Amino acid sequence: MKQFGKILKFELKGYLKNKVFVGVTIFLVAAIAIAMFIPNIISAFKSGVTTSKDLPVMLVYAEDETLSETVKEYFTQAFTGYNVKIADGTLDDIKSQITSGNVECAFVLNSSSSYAYYVNNLNMRDSNQAIANTVLQEVYRVNAMIQNGLSPEQAKDIMSVVIESDTMTLGVDQLKNYFYTYIMIFALYTVIMLYGQLVATNVASEKSSRAMEVLITSAKPTSMMFGKVFASCIVGFTQLVLVFGSALLFYNINKAQLQNPVIASIFDMPINLFIYMLVFFVLGFLIYAFLYGAIGSTASKLEDISTMVLPVTFFFIIAFMVVLFSMIGGNVNSVLMKVFSYIPFTSPMAMFTRICMSTVAWYEIFISIIILIGSTVGIGILSAKIYRVGVLLYGTPPKFTKIIREVFKKQ
Amino acid sequence: MILELNNIDKSFGEKEVLNGVSFTAEGGKAFGLLGRNGAGKTTSIRIIMNVFPANGGEVLLNGKPIDYNKIGLGYLPEERGLYPKKLIIDQLAYFAELKGMSAKEAVKAVDYWLDRLGMTEYRNKRLDTLSKGNQQKIQLITALAHNPHIVILDEPFSGLDPVNAMLLKDVVKEQISQGKIVLFSSHQMAYIEEFCDSIAILSAGRVAISGDLLEIKRNYVRDKLVVSTTKPERIKSDLGEACAEREDGTLLIQLASPAEKQSMMKRIVETYDIDEVKVFEPSLNDIFVEYAGAQV
Repeated sequence: MKQFGKILKFELKGYLKNKVFVGVTIFLVAAIAIAMFIPNIISAFKSGVTTSKDLPVMLVYAEDETLSETVKEYFTQAFTGYNVKIADGTLDDIKSQITSGNVECAFVLNSSSSYAYYVNNLNMRDSNQAIANTVLQEVYRVNAMIQNGLSPEQAKDIMSVVIESDTMTLGVDQLKNYFYTYIMIFALYTVIMLYGQLVATNVASEKSSRAMEVLITSAKPTSMMFGKVFASCIVGFTQLVLVFGSALLFYNINKAQLQNPVIASIFDMPINLFIYMLVFFVLGFLIYAFLYGAIGSTASKLEDISTMVLPVTFFFIIAFMVVLFSMIGGNVNSVLMKVFSYIPFTSPMAMFTRICMSTVAWYEIFISIIILIGSTVGIGILSAKIYRVGVLLYGTPPKFTKIIREVFKKQ
Repeated sequence: MILELNNIDKSFGEKEVLNGVSFTAEGGKAFGLLGRNGAGKTTSIRIIMNVFPANGGEVLLNGKPIDYNKIGLGYLPEERGLYPKKLIIDQLAYFAELKGMSAKEAVKAVDYWLDRLGMTEYRNKRLDTLSKGNQQKIQLITALAHNPHIVILDEPFSGLDPVNAMLLKDVVKEQISQGKIVLFSSHQMAYIEEFCDSIAILSAGRVAISGDLLEIKRNYVRDKLVVSTTKPERIKSDLGEACAEREDGTLLIQLASPAEKQSMMKRIVETYDIDEVKVFEPSLNDIFVEYAGAQV
């Protein structure tokens, strides 16, 4: 235990003295600061209210001048992002104005229910036509009502009736929880990938520099393995806390400017989900870090690491993909996801996603966490044993079965 | 202090590395563990250091199993290497701490040794900025800083210049005089002969010979004669296969039995023109070649 503390301290010091690690952390915090301050910075440069002159021009044209006027009036209200004008001149003039870029788009109306939409490059997300259709339908209906004897006010009242509705979510609101689930899954994925490799490289480099020769005669393999893995876990977690903490801080400073429901939902995470996140994050990280450490101990050269970790990395990516696609599809309670939420290597992501995006009984969560804790401890002990056998083997990386046989051989 | 290995067996998978290895090393004396590459020296050392257990046999200190929490062991491995990118003081203090010292004690001990080996100026430098010889001296500190009871040095003199070798000799003598058990493993026989009172030669996982070095030499079968002469041709042609020329130009004459010694000496002195004739005294090198060489 004493040795564990010393190893932990030494490893932590190593990370803190690593310029790349410190640099990346500072860069991430700075990037978040910039992203959060951008709306403020932009508004500081833009003085006053944006005038209609700055907006792109949308032309409206109809043979019937009354129709032109009415449509212009309605379009001005509907298309707030455009400066809506009535076109003068021929159709060719309108086309040349659009191609030259002076005008962004034009609606040429044959009647109140028929038009042609002119635009230079049709954007993938162009919703102008859909809006125009709704507006023109309204114009048509109001006109029809007036023609049938209703006053314009009565017609407007009918058209502007508002339906009141409330959603009573008894379970969870998937959309609301979607973003932080997404972020947690992604953070776990990134941290495991980065730090897992770091642990493996760390062990293998001690072996290749032969520092191991002195280390194994100075410290117990279990202390070595646990010290290294916990150090990387603490460092990875600190980095995350710094990044998300600074994000939270900068968000609160710029709250007035950041009227984004997505960002708001991320920082509005309920406390119970936050605790689940911590539990699954730490356990998920540890179980993979132990595996990576064990793999690192069986490699003699640093070059071997990238190929030797491939099986674990592949498995992890598949688990990540399954969880991610289930999440995007909103189908988090599929049989596969249910199975995944009990398998220790996939449960940190799968179970957390299910808790966030559906209703899971407490005992299911409990069982999943118990299995995960048990497996993490088991994998930790096993990896320390592999480490003890692995660090003394040089040359061609040994076969997995050979290592396992050595590990379980009666001492 | 007496360190005893009793009948140690060790195998890795199918491969038997040690087979009934026994030897005894005493405190205040240096012990030489010799053998060709792959003879089982490193495995024996690792078993003494408790890196892995033996399959059979026991390692005893003063007749009792070693209590690794109380007994300090220092080890200079043959394969040298520490953390190339870390500061020397940081890593040396770390290793001393792992051996049970407090952070303060560790730094103090490391500073003492840096000074003792003339390395203080490198204290706050990275290891990879040092020359090979200096890195070796740094590595030696990992074996000695925590003031261990048992010091195991594997090829301690390789890569050192004569001045540093002299410095190391003084350090080793100092350790021996402090009553520690100093275990040497080396292929440089001259150093072993200089330091070690007793040796064990391993061959293919077995002890080929072990014990007091002088005694081993004394017990060496005295059935060879060394003859110095300026006219070797006649002796060679007369004795045929029993006579061989050595590298230094002297002749080595193999006797049929040790009993023949005196009659043969007399015959040589009377018959040939010679400068000197004496009984062959083996060097450690000769003993090593004879006992360790049998291994395939």
